[in-house]
Amino acid sequence: MRRLFWRAGFGATPAEARRWARAGKAATLRFVVDGPPGGARLRGPAPRVGGHQLDPLNVWGHDVLWWLDRMVRTTYPLQEKLTLFWHDHFATSDQDTPLMLAQNRMLRRRALGSFRALLGDVTRDPAMQLFLSLADSTKDAPNENYARELMELFTLGSGYTEQDVREAARALTGFSSTWGERGLVSIDYRADQHDDGVKTLLGRRGRLGVDDVLDLVTAHRNHAPFLVSKLWSFFVATPPSVRTVRALSATYRSSGLQIKPVVRAILAHPALYTRLDAPDLVKCPVVYVAGALRTTGSYITQDYPTWMLQTMGQLPFAPPSVAGWDWGPAWMSSNSMRQRFALGNYVVNYGRPRVHRGSAPATLTAKQALDRAWRAVGEPQVSAATRAALLHLAARFFDDLDPRWRDTAGWRGEALQLTLRHLLLTCPDAQLH
Amino acid sequence: MVARRSRFLVAGTVLAAALVLATPGAGARRRVADTAVGVGAREFHLAAYRASAPAGVVRFNLTNYGQDAHDLVVRDRSGRTLGRTGRVRSGARATLALRLRPGTYRLVCDLSNHEALGMRTTIRVTR
Repeated sequence: MRRLFWRAGFGATPAEARRWARAGKAATLRFVVDGPPGGARLRGPAPRVGGHQLDPLNVWGHDVLWWLDRMVRTTYPLQEKLTLFWHDHFATSDQDTPLMLAQNRMLRRRALGSFRALLGDVTRDPAMQLFLSLADSTKDAPNENYARELMELFTLGSGYTEQDVREAARALTGFSSTWGERGLVSIDYRADQHDDGVKTLLGRRGRLGVDDVLDLVTAHRNHAPFLVSKLWSFFVATPPSVRTVRALSATYRSSGLQIKPVVRAILAHPALYTRLDAPDLVKCPVVYVAGALRTTGSYITQDYPTWMLQTMGQLPFAPPSVAGWDWGPAWMSSNSMRQRFALGNYVVNYGRPRVHRGSAPATLTAKQALDRAWRAVGEPQVSAATRAALLHLAARFFDDLDPRWRDTAGWRGEALQLTLRHLLLTCPDAQLH
Repeated sequence: MVARRSRFLVAGTVLAAALVLATPGAGARRRVADTAVGVGAREFHLAAYRASAPAGVVRFNLTNYGQDAHDLVVRDRSGRTLGRTGRVRSGARATLALRLRPGTYRLVCDLSNHEALGMRTTIRVTR
């Protein structure tokens, strides 16, 4: 259950863990995949920074906090997780904040629906159009950027030629941008700028247009294996077998290119539940930060998470390239790990796990102290080795203190709690899910 | 192939932060909350993410999304320059904070001929 909540979202609070452990796997999967009746809601206090509401359009970093807050407070975490997946898959950056936020809302709306509809919206999305120069690509000067990434990164990976890219670029011409005093006004399709000549794309000949290109790439034999394999890798650390890819592709095609059935099948797959005692998927920075806040019952009250995410190497709305981020062990650079430790400080100082004065006497046994810290940080999964190390630390923490003084050394007990909570949030176990 | 540029940002790239008191004296003593205005620059457009802001300190947060260096200059109706960022390189950011009275102000990039090419917009400051 904990594995599912982490892979499909940003971890489970202790209350969620208990509730869904009682409900069983099938009911939990239904809830996780389909979301709550009535759709996603945000629960808990709205974010405030410096006592003020967020201003995502106008204050640097508030766009990131706005999305992070959704991950922390949503009742439908899978929707936000898939929004993150699509943000990486259709990586877009260097565009005006209003356009990036509009794209984010579109990705969320389409996150679990039809891939063909999602692709249609992405293709017409202003941020994407400007990023990959599809806007103002005309019949006289067709730009190949979008056509190339459409096939290489978005739908196929392989199985097309340079000639296909050129022909697709011709078929995708006609979008024209209009700018005004406040920036981009609109991107419209202008038939007079479209190349309406005959093209040959992926073996099909005709006067192909925008939707013909999208239909052809999504009908290509390489598309389903390409997409389901990428989705699989987002949720499962071990590569899928040929048989699994075949089965997921069949699910995808038979559903009419729907995303949700594929995700449901991946989340139900036994491979996701192997070695429950030894998580093997590295938490990307966004999941690490959102998860640390969500599972400890903490909320956005400062703007630090934005800058920490940047140093950790995953600043939302600013992927490093059209290919998105490098995933996996690449997240665990020494600098990134240092920032993950800094996040632990942030959570234990500003979040719900902060230690209150008088709350942790130095007279607790090592086990009592560790249990109290473990409960305070959301009862995370802890390996036997980590637990033994923390117990050892707790047992020796007061060695320099005369036993007669322990009754009155509450501040030392609080220091131990702070240390244990920080280590539970940042230890090696906390980096994996 | 699109250039797969490694991008961005922030802490070390803020090139300028200035507070210019356009209305020294009485206005300087009034406690008015800052209003942030996001501004995006690219070849050759300047977009302010707010059309208006209340009088007081207006904090222009400029991001250069373009390939070339740009700057942000704020002028009043008479054309007098009230403040400017330095040159902001591609992918970088700068803040310009000004105390502004009610009125209409012009935002431009005055590097080279960028203003004439379209890098200009306005913002209305209200009471």
